[in-house]
Amino acid sequence: MSQIEKIQNLKKMKTTIAQGGGEEKIAKRHADGKLSARERIDLLFDENSFVEVDAFIESRCFDFGMQKKKLPGDGVVTGYGTVNGRKVFVASQDFTVIGGSLGEMHAKKITKVMDMALKMGAPFIAINDSGGARIEEGLDALSGYGDIFYRNTLASGVIPQISVIMGPCAGGAVYSPAITDFIFMVEKTSQMFITGPQVIKSVTGEDVSVENLGGADVHTAVSGVAHFKSSSEEECIEDIKRLLSFIPDNNVSDTVYYGVSDAADRLAESLNSIIPEESNKPYDMFDVIAEVVDDGDFFEIQSYFAQNIIIGFARMNGKSVGIVANQPKVMAGSLDMNAADKAARFVRFCDAFNIPVVSLTDVPAFLPGVAQEHNGIIRHGAKLLYAFSEATVPKINVILRKAYGGAYIAMNSKTIGADMVLAWPSAEIAVMGPDGAANIIFKKDITASENPAETRQEKIAEYRDKFSNPYVAASRGYIDDVIEPSETRKKIITALEMLDTKRENRPSKKHGNIPL
Amino acid sequence: MNKYIIKVNGTPYEVEVEEVGGGRPVAAAPKPRASKPGQTAAAKSAQPQAGKAGDVAAPMPGTVLKVKVNLGDEVKKGQVLLILEAMKMENEIVAPADGKVTALTVEAGKSVTAGELMVSIA
Repeated sequence: MSQIEKIQNLKKMKTTIAQGGGEEKIAKRHADGKLSARERIDLLFDENSFVEVDAFIESRCFDFGMQKKKLPGDGVVTGYGTVNGRKVFVASQDFTVIGGSLGEMHAKKITKVMDMALKMGAPFIAINDSGGARIEEGLDALSGYGDIFYRNTLASGVIPQISVIMGPCAGGAVYSPAITDFIFMVEKTSQMFITGPQVIKSVTGEDVSVENLGGADVHTAVSGVAHFKSSSEEECIEDIKRLLSFIPDNNVSDTVYYGVSDAADRLAESLNSIIPEESNKPYDMFDVIAEVVDDGDFFEIQSYFAQNIIIGFARMNGKSVGIVANQPKVMAGSLDMNAADKAARFVRFCDAFNIPVVSLTDVPAFLPGVAQEHNGIIRHGAKLLYAFSEATVPKINVILRKAYGGAYIAMNSKTIGADMVLAWPSAEIAVMGPDGAANIIFKKDITASENPAETRQEKIAEYRDKFSNPYVAASRGYIDDVIEPSETRKKIITALEMLDTKRENRPSKKHGNIPL
Repeated sequence: MNKYIIKVNGTPYEVEVEEVGGGRPVAAAPKPRASKPGQTAAAKSAQPQAGKAGDVAAPMPGTVLKVKVNLGDEVKKGQVLLILEAMKMENEIVAPADGKVTALTVEAGKSVTAGELMVSIA
């Protein structure tokens, strides 16, 4: 073979590999609203920036007639490139090649780019579209999953890891996404479950469709497994890019600064009248967030799950912050198990990647109820306390209205390490709500009274006037200042600037033992 | 772009100062796709479902304070169906989707438990 022929041969081989399972299979995917593994990569990365690694990898399996099958790239495309100019590593499973099933060498390709991402300190994105383990490869395939989970865990908190579900992701395969930081799903075309509808039917007799078992709606609204839901793959990839814009490349690099287009000292007059006169009337916390952050631009995470708490990224004076806010409009903004889990994991992400946390508090209590107690609100609620206490990033809390009891302490209070706690004049910071407190403290007065109902109301009013305000807390230093609501943005930005150089150490340890 | 008023010998001049980009150029941040959060909040407050889609269940134990729809009413997604007083808050319970009220199992004053069906919309 001459040198020219050798080069032509190389080109031919690369073309064959790039075609994956062939045009016919790709055309069928397009008809189903799915893109091919390479098309997804092309959409994600800057033009011509993608560099493929391990295109020539082949399966080592010779059982069950596997040696006769040609599996281009062994069912996965891996490599790196730039997304809006930033280095990102990727593995994109190719469903057109033996169902994107994960075999030994398939897994080796994925773990190689994961190792590279970790070494280079760049985000890793895994696009999942696979029928599961390649049964023909037996334990070698299964071990491949173990290799991936292990690296997911080692990389956790060092580089951001994003999982994108764009097809089936079933059985053990789901645990790689579950360990990563964020999971994206696409409506109708992506599913995640441990055991599929057929196995469930045979074991428990339950009849359920794939979509109702583990579709995007289920995992973004009910189980809380996934963080984002998009109506198409194109939209999903745009969302990934937007998420990347808020987070750093790794745990020692800064988030990208894109400049500022919103004045740091902009006042928001509407906030002075947003709190209703009666404390039993709700308002929409999103309205507050929109006024406080740069350009009203808020990137919400887990928007359909545990809507009584709001989490997401925004920028303040151009810098990324993580927002954690109670939503009085949903379940009165009370903290339940799901809300605690949702917020705790987000606070830990922010802490791991040095993104300051700004919380907006209006919380009446942890949600009472037998179901909550029996399912472990104690264990779940503890995560939120732990996450805030453990975080060493700048922590700012603004108390808008209610901050009662244990829920007040859990919501980024001064005593668990908040750096700056501000309160609006409408804040009610107390050990419990006026009704409950009056019942206990003035029990004797109420029962001894000729008109207990009236006395009770009087005592509630007395307690409210005396304690349901921010000044008792301010007099003890549990809050740092009481501010006019319209100045909230300015005050938070000033605090963030002050905290820019914050250094805080924790006792040396292997790791803590967060209540799980 | 910053604007300044500069007085020279008592005469004010309005001056615009543009900062020339320093450091390495960065790509623009991807712009938001959705509208501002406040506007989408109503649509997103879908309550836990009791069975079928369109069933509106109580998100937590409480007392129905006011019912704002009647059986057979056409409702729009996000429209307030009833007010549930719970956790000392008058919680607005909204329609998860457009449709007709096909069942209304609560009235003002009724106590409900978490997960109890209150309204069906089809």
